[in-house]
Amino acid sequence: MSYHLFIINPFDTPLYSLTYLSTRPVSGPTSTLASQLPSWSTSAFSGTVAALSGATSVKPPGPPGTGQGKEDRHVVMMIANASLDAIEDVQKTNGSMYLKAIDRFNEWTVSAFITPANMKFVLLHEPKNDEGIRLFFMEVWENYVKLQLNPFHNYRTPIRSPIFDGRVRASAKKHL
Amino acid sequence: MAYNNVHPRLSVFSTGSQSSLDYIPTAGTPPPGSGGRQSATPIPKAGPSKGIYDRPLNKTRNAEVSAAAYAFLFSEMIQYTQKRVHGIGDLEKRLSLLGYRIGTRTLELMMWRNEGASKNPKRETRLLPVLYVVHTQLWKAIFGKTADAIEKSVENDDEYMIIDNDPPITKYISIPKEMSQLSCSALTAGIVEALLDGLGFPARVTAHSVPKEGFPLRTTILIKLDRSVMEREEALK
Repeated sequence: MSYHLFIINPFDTPLYSLTYLSTRPVSGPTSTLASQLPSWSTSAFSGTVAALSGATSVKPPGPPGTGQGKEDRHVVMMIANASLDAIEDVQKTNGSMYLKAIDRFNEWTVSAFITPANMKFVLLHEPKNDEGIRLFFMEVWENYVKLQLNPFHNYRTPIRSPIFDGRVRASAKKHL
Repeated sequence: MAYNNVHPRLSVFSTGSQSSLDYIPTAGTPPPGSGGRQSATPIPKAGPSKGIYDRPLNKTRNAEVSAAAYAFLFSEMIQYTQKRVHGIGDLEKRLSLLGYRIGTRTLELMMWRNEGASKNPKRETRLLPVLYVVHTQLWKAIFGKTADAIEKSVENDDEYMIIDNDPPITKYISIPKEMSQLSCSALTAGIVEALLDGLGFPARVTAHSVPKEGFPLRTTILIKLDRSVMEREEALK
């Protein structure tokens, strides 16, 4: 199952994004929208349908290779950005940093974590994994605090540190 | 130096006396009575390098910086800024900007140290708790003591004041008579402004010197909150 993490700064600029494919077995029925529709209807629109239903494993005939990947990516980013509205609504009243699932989109659930300095970590995921996601967010937060202690760090520019990337990936592997 | 009978496990940097050849160094223990830095300490292995990501954040939690070293650094900062500005207002603005950069980092670090271990970390969303955070936790984290008073202005309902009787950072600064409006606590004001901004309470924060008998360096940090904050507070009441 794939997880998408976005780190978004208070100016709504995404600073960091990570797509992580988890190899853990997922419990519960995971039926994709595409598999429930009859096959004759999915063949023509299978690309869009697959993207909207969040399934990344459907491979339609048609445009080669990268076409499918790009569609998915745009939808995922659109979902993450749309959820920012929901986050900001909740942010005013909710006093916790870890906001559990704030938005749903077909099968994707959006969980968020807001740091004290108003940086938002948005995670798109399909399976439910509250505890693992919470621990993951805490570790990303710790790595982020260490990253921004750098006097040359600027919170308007994207995060390009390979060490930060490596640590977030390792943390994802451990918890997701 | 007798290269022929140098013990194979002795460091090649060793210029110790002949007697040190008798001593077989075990890892990490310096040989007794050998000279200074060139004694037979083992060459550090090229292991994984310790970057900032490996250091635990709580390591320097209670560490203190010597006031003298800090005063030195601060005086350099002020001199640097003073050369590049045309007036007191500009100088205070620049110091405030430097303080802002410190404040964003301090906010995250302070909150992480306070909440990083808890199961459900919380942020403050209401005004009064946030002001208390500034008054107690921020001052404790930076200066090691809490601020002396927190007051609400009677004329304007969007103004609050944090009073420090003896701000440590300006302790060794003497301000000439013609610049008596200047308060180098503008740095502290910048830190407070960054903290309020981060928590979602945009404000204009300035520092003013209000000497009282017994406390010649008494400083007030004046916080003037944005309209949007006051409206939000009204709505949430």
